[in-house]
Amino acid sequence: MITISAYFIRRLLQSILVIVGVSVVVFVITRAIGDPARLSLPLEATDEQVEAYAQRMGFRDPLVVQFWNWAKDALRGDFGDSLWQREPALGLVLERMPATLQLCFTAIVLAVAASIPLGILAALRPRSWLDKITTSFSLIGVCIPDFWLGLMLILLLAVYFRLFFTSGYGTPRHLVLPAITLAARPWGRITQIVRTSMMDEMHRTYMMTARAKGLTEQKVIVSHALKNASIPIVTLAAWELTRMLAGYTIVVETVFAWPGFGLLAMQAIEERDLTLIQADVFVVALIVVAMNIAIDFVYAAIDPRVRLE
Amino acid sequence: MRAHLIRILAAALLVSLLAAACGTPAPPPPEATTPPEATTPPEATTPPEPPPGGPSGSIVIVIGNDPSTLDPQYADDGNEHKINDNVYEHLLTREPATGEILPELAESWEQIDDTTWRFYLQEGIQFHNGEPFNAEAVKFSAERIIDPEFNSEQISFVASITGAEVIDEYTVDIITGEGPDPTLPARMTWLKIVPPVYTAEDPDRFAQAPVGTGPYKFVEWVRGSHVTLEANEDYWGGAPDIQEVTWRPIEEAATRLAALQAGEVDLVTDLIPEYLPQVEKSVAVPGLEFSWIRINTNIEPLSDVRVRQALNYAVDKDALVDALYGGYAVKAEGQILTPGHFGYNPDVEAYPYDPEMAQDLLEEAGATGATLELIGESGRWLKDKELTEAIAAQLEAAGLNIDINIVEWSDWLDLLFAGAEAAPNLQYSSHDNVLLDADRTLSALFTTDGSQSAYSNPRVDELVLNARTETDAELREQMYHEAVQIIHDEAACIFTVNLDNIYGLSPNLEFSPRLDGRLFVKDMILND
Repeated sequence: MITISAYFIRRLLQSILVIVGVSVVVFVITRAIGDPARLSLPLEATDEQVEAYAQRMGFRDPLVVQFWNWAKDALRGDFGDSLWQREPALGLVLERMPATLQLCFTAIVLAVAASIPLGILAALRPRSWLDKITTSFSLIGVCIPDFWLGLMLILLLAVYFRLFFTSGYGTPRHLVLPAITLAARPWGRITQIVRTSMMDEMHRTYMMTARAKGLTEQKVIVSHALKNASIPIVTLAAWELTRMLAGYTIVVETVFAWPGFGLLAMQAIEERDLTLIQADVFVVALIVVAMNIAIDFVYAAIDPRVRLE
Repeated sequence: MRAHLIRILAAALLVSLLAAACGTPAPPPPEATTPPEATTPPEATTPPEPPPGGPSGSIVIVIGNDPSTLDPQYADDGNEHKINDNVYEHLLTREPATGEILPELAESWEQIDDTTWRFYLQEGIQFHNGEPFNAEAVKFSAERIIDPEFNSEQISFVASITGAEVIDEYTVDIITGEGPDPTLPARMTWLKIVPPVYTAEDPDRFAQAPVGTGPYKFVEWVRGSHVTLEANEDYWGGAPDIQEVTWRPIEEAATRLAALQAGEVDLVTDLIPEYLPQVEKSVAVPGLEFSWIRINTNIEPLSDVRVRQALNYAVDKDALVDALYGGYAVKAEGQILTPGHFGYNPDVEAYPYDPEMAQDLLEEAGATGATLELIGESGRWLKDKELTEAIAAQLEAAGLNIDINIVEWSDWLDLLFAGAEAAPNLQYSSHDNVLLDADRTLSALFTTDGSQSAYSNPRVDELVLNARTETDAELREQMYHEAVQIIHDEAACIFTVNLDNIYGLSPNLEFSPRLDGRLFVKDMILND
């Protein structure tokens, strides 16, 4: 237990460092791309109005002072008001959290559920037609651009057959298409990793032992081979989920007008809303860091040889 | 208007490929040569499906983005205006097609001295929350929007107003203390009247849950998802036909098209011309948006009027309209005003496309072969980059070396506001003037002190300054006519095109687009 809490403290410190680092980078970049006051005011604004606005928002202070002021408030949970929607930025971001989490978790469940059986079947019969189809399709899944896949699904299943909605949020009929689109890439990658790790395990000698002691083939595959193959699969699935949350949703959410983090980030960038970009990135960084810690614990739970030190 | 061109073009291609593959009934494309004043709906081959779920008599309108706020007096934001135009009203309004100013919440109005306009209000009108509409509400609304503390982005639309005075319950004076303002009635078609008690009570709530006198009442706003309004049964002008309106932000152009094709939405704004052949029903009218190329007239060789005229002769406006906008634009008639703007000069015409004349003028001025920098940007307005590139090619054909430079939005802004001295040789920009009065356009773009101006002519300055306070409408119009004539003759910029507003409609929705681009749902009809 001592080692786990020491591990936890060390990871926590690392995480804080990551979040501070990300915040600094975003802060500097968003202020380096142009005069934030001019960017957030309408074209007709006069120089005096721009100057007055810049003074009021503190955009003319040295960058270090600006960051210090921001960080001081951020520590108290105040990320400032969105320049675009004039509401507390953190609230606007958190409001979008359920939509993104719903989309990402559905997509990863879809991807895992579809890839494990296919990957196993392909591994059991290498070079069979099933293996070839699975390998080709998983490659397509990895390579296909998400905006293209999304638009094709919309045209086929929402416009032509009218089974689902083209866009929007609320019901399962809204969720299906964006979730499939988002799931395509992780599905392809996970299928490939299931196939290769299962093929590796199938040749190990413990498999012979398991069969020799009279276990059914099903039991051999699921409780022995799959369990041993699961570390890379879990790693990859978790990594895919993290990537989704960390920004892969931007394209999918924009195409499907899905009101989550990704769309909000897109809107914040278009509106040059510095505070909102900052809050959005901060929350996403926090989620990614938390996910990484959680994944370590999952490893330890799956494989007793893994120690959190 | 924003367009992410690469994505849109790729998407357009894909959409058309798939549409062809699936055999979706696609109406024939409009002929490029006929100006698409109002495209007639081709006959629908499949019966329209009502949007799933909603009660009958409800429509869904797609806008470009979430509104920034629902406070009608704060932001300069087209998405907010489109929604709130149905919740709030103004003292005056405009005739949809001609732009003539008509009474709305005011019954009549008169100018009682140079700086005072008196408005006689309609009696017995209530805000949605029961607050009475009266002179006090008008005074409150006017004073709120001009309050420096409030810092409204809309200030330039109401800048001349210095205060308001209540004469009696239904009579109010609007005061322009710093001088006469003949455009005040136009400004009163902009100023939205808000309920004083509700607004002052809780500004945060006010920005999220609007309460006006208009034909629609606010129901809910789920950020990023939708805004819903319902018919105001007690509306003083009679309850509107359509019961419920949902406004949905969809950014992606291909998704907007798909949503319309799938029958999920009833009206899509800012449709791109390439998509029109796939839309069963659409309408288009010339809008207020003008593309133009600013010329820095302070530097050689652009200080020579012959060179500037040559630039205008060298640009083939009709080709731009057809090739870039599929006919959904009109050439600018030598001015950045529509015929609906006060001050439009009907005698001024576009420079004809005459490449030989352009070459001769350049030769005469000794500018043949001169190198000019042309600054453009990409993605903010429909076909902005393409237009910049097409013009560069046409200018090169006339014998100039054009050094084209498409820059990032913030750099583009810095250059636009760099001041006349530091302005680039040539810069693409876009301008729209919703007040429908020449002052805003001429002041900003062509006076010596104009915020985006790189042109200076003492006579234009004098005319624009005097017209701003001239209360005799006829004299004032003459002044603008003269200023427009000078700006045209001196070729103060390269005049290009005036873009259409294009709307995609569901087959059962009737809607006549307005000159000012506003969407009044009460004027729409939903057929069964």
